[in-house]
Amino acid sequence: MDSITLKHIEKGKYQIFLILVLAALTFVSSIFGLGLGSSSSLSMGKTWKIVLSDMWVFLINLDTVFDNLSYNISCLFSSCESISLLHGLNREGTHLQNSIIYEWRLPRILAAVIGGIALAVAGSLMQGCLGNPLVSPLTLGVASGAALGAALAIVLGFTILSVPALAIVANSFVFSLIVVAVIIQLGKIRSISAESYILVGIAITFICGAIVSTMQYFASDAQLSQLAHWSFGSLSRPNMENVAFMGLVVLGILPTAIRWSWDLNAVSMGGDEFAISTGVNPSSLRKNILIISALMTSVIIAFTGLIGFVGLAAPHMSRLIVGNDFRKLIPASGIFGAFLMIFADTLGRTLFAPIVIPVGVMLSIIGGPFFMYLLLRRRG
Amino acid sequence: MLNVSGLNFSWGKKRVLEDVNFKINSNEVVSILGINGAGKSTLIKCLNGILKPNTGKIEVISKPDGAAEYVLRDISSLDLVSISRTTSYVPQSIRPSFSMDVFDVVLLGRRPHIKWRISDSDREKVSNTLRYLDLEDFAFRKFDNLSGGERQRVVIAKAIAQDPNLYLFDEPTSDLDLRNQIQIMKCIRSLISESETPKSALIAIHDINIAARYSDRIILLDNGSIKAFGSPSEVLTVENIAEVFGVSSSISYESGNYIRIVVDDEIKDCEE
Repeated sequence: MDSITLKHIEKGKYQIFLILVLAALTFVSSIFGLGLGSSSSLSMGKTWKIVLSDMWVFLINLDTVFDNLSYNISCLFSSCESISLLHGLNREGTHLQNSIIYEWRLPRILAAVIGGIALAVAGSLMQGCLGNPLVSPLTLGVASGAALGAALAIVLGFTILSVPALAIVANSFVFSLIVVAVIIQLGKIRSISAESYILVGIAITFICGAIVSTMQYFASDAQLSQLAHWSFGSLSRPNMENVAFMGLVVLGILPTAIRWSWDLNAVSMGGDEFAISTGVNPSSLRKNILIISALMTSVIIAFTGLIGFVGLAAPHMSRLIVGNDFRKLIPASGIFGAFLMIFADTLGRTLFAPIVIPVGVMLSIIGGPFFMYLLLRRRG
Repeated sequence: MLNVSGLNFSWGKKRVLEDVNFKINSNEVVSILGINGAGKSTLIKCLNGILKPNTGKIEVISKPDGAAEYVLRDISSLDLVSISRTTSYVPQSIRPSFSMDVFDVVLLGRRPHIKWRISDSDREKVSNTLRYLDLEDFAFRKFDNLSGGERQRVVIAKAIAQDPNLYLFDEPTSDLDLRNQIQIMKCIRSLISESETPKSALIAIHDINIAARYSDRIILLDNGSIKAFGSPSEVLTVENIAEVFGVSSSISYESGNYIRIVVDDEIKDCEE
């Protein structure tokens, strides 16, 4: 085989190796994150012992687990309280320890992983299809739509779903999708360019912002503080069912995203005309990408509030490792995003424990300087 | 190879191309000359689906999936992937939003032929193309870090890796120095002449001497329609040059059937 061919294969393998190392690092940090916390009765060793013994109990008592699972499923149709899958079995941890691990730390870490993957992948997709390095998943008005939905629920009490626990979540999810639908409809009127998409997104952000400001002007102090609280991205809100929902949506979308890697390569490399002569339709690609990244972003921020930085920075950081081939950039961004989120969140809840700093704030504080360092080092 | 008949194109109310008809044979280099705004780029872009003509028929030779013989097919009946298997467009210059390795840029030429996985034969095609254009030292450099001439060669390499029948070049030499201009045109020339499969090139270009030197035939576009179509010495006459470009010139005939056009330092008034 040709020496250039061999070198290309070598380079590809090396990049995949780097992605796997990053994945391993992310896995290790999430296990550490599970063991870290402010509870004095739960050291890292104790946490692992409980989790490992539970996994063992789970494996040797599959019949009881199955009974509990079917009981839980039957609960979906009647009003009984759902129970733990390991209910009635002899377990290592106390009730309190179990509840800290499985109801507080585990959903938090899973939300960090899923949120990081979704936001970073959405960021890399949007940067690619709009050909602009400044774009993040929140650029096209997804965030402003979510904020509008949340404000409507908090200030005016206008809710789409009447379940109190999910009212704000459903509102911000639906309104961010409405905003994106409007943008795509505007795009259909004339097949608009990448720049116009960004400008329309900015215009809509201003419009939604104005409506939210108006509501804030007339809101009570309690409402204002609730709204401000919502806008800090935080991982403490989603529970295990929320996390499962987020995970299913993201998992369903990811393969589609990776299928468009070649098209994204063509568009981000040479622009629209170059892409067309490579057999890619750039306007339909942009529309599809906008839909799936909006879906992923809004399902995450509906549960967590605004987390913007990871979607901007993780794709750029991954680009420094694997280059701009989207077949590798999409997985690398996802893993890098998950890593950043776990790292920032774990730091945020241990640094000044028991005070928890929201992950959105933490990400920007530690990620910002790191991001600048990486970019400046490359230019120099 | 390429049949264009009754082609009309307008931007809103402005007519850009008016009843354009021509045919290109296999293994032929054809240049399109004309002033700025004559419709050169528009014509090129109509031929590969970037722009949709208002009326007219464009037929390009291609091999349908699984067929052994080449057939002429109307491009309005083909999707973008099928069009890009048979035609390849080289823009004047590309400004990447995110740069890639030269090898990966050229690999994009294989995109119309593959689904997701790159086979070894795709990689070999890319390697061979890089060697053919003297780009092997740049294979793992970033496209961003290359000079204008090198970039142009990379984009041409991508077009070659695409293995089309019809190459469309939009002012391939405009951004280049003298040496690079000659190198690019020689490369296009040998690419077409040496090919065993039917391949032709259509080049929108400004330099009339380079066009005369490297083309088999020349299309002279004037105000959106074809003023003259034929061999360089038939098309590039003192009268045609005066009428289309509004400059006076003298033409000398060199050995080997080449002509050299010397443009005088005088702008012809339209009234004359």
